[in-house]
Amino acid sequence: MAATITPEVLTDIGKEEKKGSKSDLEPGYLVICWNDPVNLMDYVTHVFQVVFGWNRQKAEMHMLQVHNQGKSVLTRESMERAEHYVHQLQRYSLHATMERDQ
Amino acid sequence: MKLIQADKDRLVFHLERREKRSLCEILKLYPLVPEAYQQVSKTAQSDAIKASQQLLEEALAAQRQENKKQVLAMINEPERFQETESGFHFNLSVSQLEWLLQVLNDIRVGSWIALGSPDTEKGEKILLTEQTAPYLWVMEMAGYFETVLLDALNGKQG
Repeated sequence: MAATITPEVLTDIGKEEKKGSKSDLEPGYLVICWNDPVNLMDYVTHVFQVVFGWNRQKAEMHMLQVHNQGKSVLTRESMERAEHYVHQLQRYSLHATMERDQ
Repeated sequence: MKLIQADKDRLVFHLERREKRSLCEILKLYPLVPEAYQQVSKTAQSDAIKASQQLLEEALAAQRQENKKQVLAMINEPERFQETESGFHFNLSVSQLEWLLQVLNDIRVGSWIALGSPDTEKGEKILLTEQTAPYLWVMEMAGYFETVLLDALNGKQG
């Protein structure tokens, strides 16, 4: 019996996983930090360095983009990775979201 | 508040008595950012994003609860603030400093929200009432302590 049932179950799970994981694994999500008038510029730079491991120059460049242009796209990732970064940034009370890359 | 000693993973700050009082008073207010404030996405509406939003809210709530415990423990820990003739020596490891930055910024951002989230550079007025006025002081003090901590991390003396 096991031999009869097993292939069907495995096939279904395989399809489900493949279908579910394909879009999740594609780097189709942008992690965006939005400007707000309350977070200190040095603080935002520091958070970018900690969360992304960037050097100060790169972190400052993105911080200035947020400040001057209202937002900065920090990275383009799979859904899972984007979610991770957004959670990290929000732990520091930054205004960060993940958006589908159109 | 002034950095007086820094080695590889420990920093010591000098605090005047009133600074220590202010720091402890504002830390007691943690958390101030409302639970529903953070959104995972502005535009995405899929079930996966809704699940992610729920996960975020649960994670932030758990983090707040844990942080609150740690804040109260830190304020009451005798070794944390060592009394001197002119004030206190405030001891922090680098990871504790990183954590304290997160806590202080929650207090700063939460105070700003309580003041109506004004963009004063665009001329928006601060919502000042008898109830909200103390938050202006809290926001500024949290920003002051954050700046000293960030300068210390960046190797600048206070």
